[in-house]
Amino acid sequence: MTYPMISRLYKTATGSVVSFERSLEIGRAGRYAPYSPKMDTRVQHRHMNTTPLNEWHRQHGGRLVDFAGWELPVQYEGILAEHTHCREACAIFDTSHMGQFLITGPNAAEQLAAAITQDASGLGVGRGTYGFILNDGGGIIDDTILFCLGEAEFLLIVNAGTTAGDLAVLEDRLNNGTNLRYLGDWSKLDVQGPEACEVLSPLVDGDLTALKYFGVTRMKVQDTEAVVARTGYTGELGFEVFLPGKALPDLADAVVADERVKPAGLGARDSLRLEIGYPLYGHELSTEVTPVEAGMEVFLDLQRDFVGVETLRKQAEDPTPRTLVGLLTEQRRRFAEGDTILAADGEEVGQVTSGTFAPSLGVAAGMGYVDREATATGTPVIIRTARAELPATVAERPLYKDGTARSKLT
Amino acid sequence: MNPETLRYSEQHEYAGVEGNTATCGITDYAQGSLGDITFVELPDVGKELKKGEEACAIESAKAASSVYAPVSGKIVAVNEALEDDPAPVNDDPYGDGWIFKIEMADASEAEQLMDAAAYDAIEKE
Repeated sequence: MTYPMISRLYKTATGSVVSFERSLEIGRAGRYAPYSPKMDTRVQHRHMNTTPLNEWHRQHGGRLVDFAGWELPVQYEGILAEHTHCREACAIFDTSHMGQFLITGPNAAEQLAAAITQDASGLGVGRGTYGFILNDGGGIIDDTILFCLGEAEFLLIVNAGTTAGDLAVLEDRLNNGTNLRYLGDWSKLDVQGPEACEVLSPLVDGDLTALKYFGVTRMKVQDTEAVVARTGYTGELGFEVFLPGKALPDLADAVVADERVKPAGLGARDSLRLEIGYPLYGHELSTEVTPVEAGMEVFLDLQRDFVGVETLRKQAEDPTPRTLVGLLTEQRRRFAEGDTILAADGEEVGQVTSGTFAPSLGVAAGMGYVDREATATGTPVIIRTARAELPATVAERPLYKDGTARSKLT
Repeated sequence: MNPETLRYSEQHEYAGVEGNTATCGITDYAQGSLGDITFVELPDVGKELKKGEEACAIESAKAASSVYAPVSGKIVAVNEALEDDPAPVNDDPYGDGWIFKIEMADASEAEQLMDAAAYDAIEKE
């Protein structure tokens, strides 16, 4: 199966030279119209990147904020309603801010396998896998999903705020005929929720039910060549649609024309991911921690050689003093990043990385790094916030256990 | 939309005066700006507050905010129903979404608060 859009993109690349269409600084920068109610706490930036749905968000009542230099909606009608709608029906999220890299060439698999934690060589066409770009010491430069679109063609999805840094690192690690392209013209729409398959199916020319969890395939979406993966960041059944930005507004219109669908913003995206226990770069993950400390061993093959693996091997044998855990309270007052975690006897044992009111649990929940002795599920702790000391327990992730992400499609 | 029977502070609290008691909460504008309220920290009954002092705090899905006493006095009642379900602060801020009642130390302070017309005007700024 040919794929004209992507083929055209990498045919223009030459030799081992890495190229991308335009400066990340300029990116998709566009018109900036401020929204500034008195109680809003947004930061105003002079140069804000915008996605192809910027106008669409305004028209649909989105409250736009700055997220990693991108102007995106934090909410439309309300975070709680959007969160619940995603768990119960279907929500769409504009995730066009996330970086998309296309990596191609006869040696792409082998070089990628050495450059990042995912085993590109063993992945298999039509599959995706979660992993990390590490520095030499095993610190996390970014967390990513790698999709194998063809034997010599990979799509790497990275975080918005780290895209430019990732590009520099990958440029350095990939060479000898491997092309790396930043797909600045491409966008992404996440269609998430138990109804996602039924909602999206009429708009595509392929069979979505054939797509297994973390499967990926090319298909036409409203007559546009696109890539569809069965992945997401909500814990629910869902798809991520990668497509040229100019086709995104029509897709968003078509999806929300289905009355089962509501648009959702970054607020709901954050509470949905937190309930599942997915890490967020810059909070749970940074260059200061390794994937072993972040409790991500399941995504690592330490038999393989890749940048940073030596540190991980040592840590796997000689456990590090701290690790990432889920935290659950029995009340509504939330805790937040930076709050101190105390053992029952009052001794300091860790720090919160994310916290929020978890709408599907009805209580405040989050994640944090704690000392090894406090990591057992059910360990009682106290979270000291600016205003209160909240009793909590160390909890197994996912905190919300009824997600539909892995459900079988027929 | 803002009831004419109430008085309003610049920090977006309201006070409904009956005799010597002011029933207080946050305005419709404030609840709309904060978004879905997820938690209301109620003040202690008996707490003495001066006008403009922090009485308690509220959290929404995207922000946290202090609630200030619109008048001086003593907290004599709190809306305990909000502990389990803070939604009335969004759905009915001037009714079931009231937060606390203050026994006023100086009834003239309520007179100095804005009336509905004046509050409507600053809200539109």
